[in-house]
Amino acid sequence: MSEAAVATMDRKPMPGMKVYNKKLGMWVFLLSEVMFFTSLIGSYVILRFAHPDHWAEVGTVLNVQLTAVNTFFLICSSVTMVKAFAAIQQGDQKGLQRWLLATILIGATFVGIQVYEYIALAGEGFVPALDGYHAVGRGNPHDGPSLGGPLYGATFYAMTGFHGAHVSIGVLCLIFVYVRSLQGAYTATSLEGVEVIGLYWHFVDLVWILLFTIVYLI
Amino acid sequence: MSTATATETHAEHAEHHELSFIRKYIFSTDHKMIAKQFLFAGLMFLLLGGLLAVTIRWQLGFPGRPLPAFIQWIFPDTMAPGGIILPEFYNSLVTMHATFMVFFALMPLMAGVFGNLLIPLQIGAEDMAFPRINMVSFWIMPVAGVIMLASFFVEGGAAGAGWTSYAPLSADGQYTGVYMGQILWLISLIVLGFSSILGALNYVSTVINMRAPGMTWFRIPLATWSLFITAWLLLLAIPILTGGLILLLADQTIGTAFFRPEGSGEPLLWQHIFWFFGHPEVYILILPAMGFVSEVIANRSRKPIFGYHSMVIALVSIAFLSWVVWGHHMFQSGMNPLLGMTFVVTTVVIAVPSAIKVFNWMGTLWRGNIHFDAPLLHAVAFVSLFIIGGLSGIFMAAAPVDIYIHDTYFIVAHLHYVLVGGSLFGIFAGIIYWYPKMFGRMMHEGLGKVHFFLSFLFYNMAFFPMHNLGVQGMMRRIYDPNQYEFLQGLQPLNTWISISIFLFASTQAIFAFNFLWSLRKGKVAGNNPWKSNTLLWTTPSPPPHGNFPEMPIVYRGPYEYSHPDREQDYWPQDEPPASSEAGGQVAPAPTPEPVPGD
Amino acid sequence: MADKEHSHPPYILIWVVLLVLTLAEVAMSLYMTNISKVLLGVGLVAMAVWKAVLVAMYYMHLRYEPARLWILAISPIPLAFILVLAVISEFR
Repeated sequence: MSEAAVATMDRKPMPGMKVYNKKLGMWVFLLSEVMFFTSLIGSYVILRFAHPDHWAEVGTVLNVQLTAVNTFFLICSSVTMVKAFAAIQQGDQKGLQRWLLATILIGATFVGIQVYEYIALAGEGFVPALDGYHAVGRGNPHDGPSLGGPLYGATFYAMTGFHGAHVSIGVLCLIFVYVRSLQGAYTATSLEGVEVIGLYWHFVDLVWILLFTIVYLI
Repeated sequence: MSTATATETHAEHAEHHELSFIRKYIFSTDHKMIAKQFLFAGLMFLLLGGLLAVTIRWQLGFPGRPLPAFIQWIFPDTMAPGGIILPEFYNSLVTMHATFMVFFALMPLMAGVFGNLLIPLQIGAEDMAFPRINMVSFWIMPVAGVIMLASFFVEGGAAGAGWTSYAPLSADGQYTGVYMGQILWLISLIVLGFSSILGALNYVSTVINMRAPGMTWFRIPLATWSLFITAWLLLLAIPILTGGLILLLADQTIGTAFFRPEGSGEPLLWQHIFWFFGHPEVYILILPAMGFVSEVIANRSRKPIFGYHSMVIALVSIAFLSWVVWGHHMFQSGMNPLLGMTFVVTTVVIAVPSAIKVFNWMGTLWRGNIHFDAPLLHAVAFVSLFIIGGLSGIFMAAAPVDIYIHDTYFIVAHLHYVLVGGSLFGIFAGIIYWYPKMFGRMMHEGLGKVHFFLSFLFYNMAFFPMHNLGVQGMMRRIYDPNQYEFLQGLQPLNTWISISIFLFASTQAIFAFNFLWSLRKGKVAGNNPWKSNTLLWTTPSPPPHGNFPEMPIVYRGPYEYSHPDREQDYWPQDEPPASSEAGGQVAPAPTPEPVPGD
Repeated sequence: MADKEHSHPPYILIWVVLLVLTLAEVAMSLYMTNISKVLLGVGLVAMAVWKAVLVAMYYMHLRYEPARLWILAISPIPLAFILVLAVISEFR
């Protein structure tokens, strides 16, 4: 190719992953998050295998019904998140703002219910520490027998606690994106920020889907 | 697709408003400045790690003798009353030496410096994909460093359970006498992990998405390839460690029993989690150096790298295999022997791609027009010392042999051959080779050779005999081997080693002097003092903000040295093929357009 | 932004499927106490994984992204299996 032809060529980087940088970056970050939850959830699986006697019967200590409702809420928040993204894809800024706000409120509710649950559980003697673990189970008198063992508590709080922290950070990021959306920062052709926070939010939901099953239902 | 930034020319970036001192030097988002920041911080911690090593060797070489007066004053009575190192403090010394070296020296120097410096320049990008995240990734490191340093000054002293921090020794302070120090150690590393993860995601995204047109995967220089693979290992391994550290922190602070036997915790779980991270970690510590060595050996031999494709495949194979060998650190732990056997097999297999790389380096040197200057000397030393380190690895891979040598000085010899003989010499090669691009001047060649020869000599004098110590039964991390009669005869060898270490450490002053002197007085380097082919060397030394006036176009691979059709013994990647001057010839021209389905 | 030649993914339909699966899981866990623990565990995990895959494919758009992206996305999963299965073998 002649130098002249080369000089006038449109210079674009190699196609690479064929998605824009921020989206690739968020996916790559999520892979590290998968590994982080692998270490926590993996430890739980391994410890449960090693000491099954530390775990109580399903539903006797943990509030499965309440958490099932909470799971429903988190799934709904994923729907509101995709609706938010779909709105801005059509250039609907007002729609984006409304659905983002809905996502934030539902996310905050999820965290709130978890905190309430933690307080209730601690009150029933279900704690992470070795000393002080005396989980009498839901609705049982305080001097009742202890159900399960401290590994049950420790792994429960580690997994759900760090998931809750991720949800909380997600809510904060969503608030940031929401404020930006109020300033008109996003349009149909400039919506990367919304898409990447959406990916993070769905990921947090996805982890919960797995966590809810293995922590509460098995 | 962010087409806006893709078609915007780099010239527009050059019209930046003048940045304030703080934005230009302190909170910079320019990858080249961040590389220098990592270099400065990494070298400082390397110095600290070295001083800790020297103190360890004082105890082993001159047991019971007070430290010399000129350094005695540094250590308070809780550490070395009257200059005599306490056993508890010795535990902290060995722990903190390794911790600072691995996490605060080698990782920043390998990945932080060269990942930042080389990746955008070698692939033809103007900066990293996420410059602000890059800046954050650097600044986390000194914060974590301060937390780690603070642990020396708390009651009970710094962590003393080894850099591997096995539970329950680390989980319960009553065993080491260290409480707060152990907690700070964990917090520091949890914080530092974020630096690695953010850096890694930047490197991965940049290499995938920001290569200049024509820079196909198999035209990427091996330095960038090795940093890319290293970034994947960092991305996936560090979070595992973070999870484990958090659980251990919980054991130490809120009384959980993940790893504490008294609460049905599993100490072996800690070991598995740690080494599942720890083995990819050691490849993180060596792969970039392999990349630097490939660049230097090819360039200084004026020959294409022998077997470029197999070098890439070897890098990828090492990365894959590194996930399934971790148990070889645990052969003596009481682990399931059947599981142990699988690790023997995988560990022996992982030697193969490393050996392929060694043969390829030798094949590159063979009949090359070799320039025996400082970078090449360090690169060749890397190969030879890595071979020794690798060979001792074969012994350790065999679990029956490891029964005998585990946790002895044989292991200490092995790890220092690969980490100092390998990684550190590789870093020296990289610093000397890329110094001109960073600072615009060459390092002094004579001083470089003196530093090299003395370092190589003293290094081997110090570390080779450790194989012997180990086989004779001297265990690692031991404060006083003379408490065992069967080890008393080893004292002369220990003293020899200590003196060699002191000489090795002193020799580094030559490098430090050379580094600083050359900043002002080194020979001014042009764009391409080494006559290299990569895009990095097409820029000014040092490159301006934005690196390239416009996005380069790549026509060939990076190792076209001494091509028979050319007069010049190098052929830059971005030189158009139909160029008639300087003896260039039309290559079977690969088109500059991005290859579909790349 | 990703070029989408498909129409809008069926978000609400997926939501309904997720809800149904969640209810099925809870019901199975709380009321099917007579089947073996192993079968229960496998069934529950299978449903959870199914839900997770739906979220990934439709809400996270992997179904519509270039193949190389979902290959990247699933890359850490084998590592998780390797770690957990290897260490579980310590306690068999």
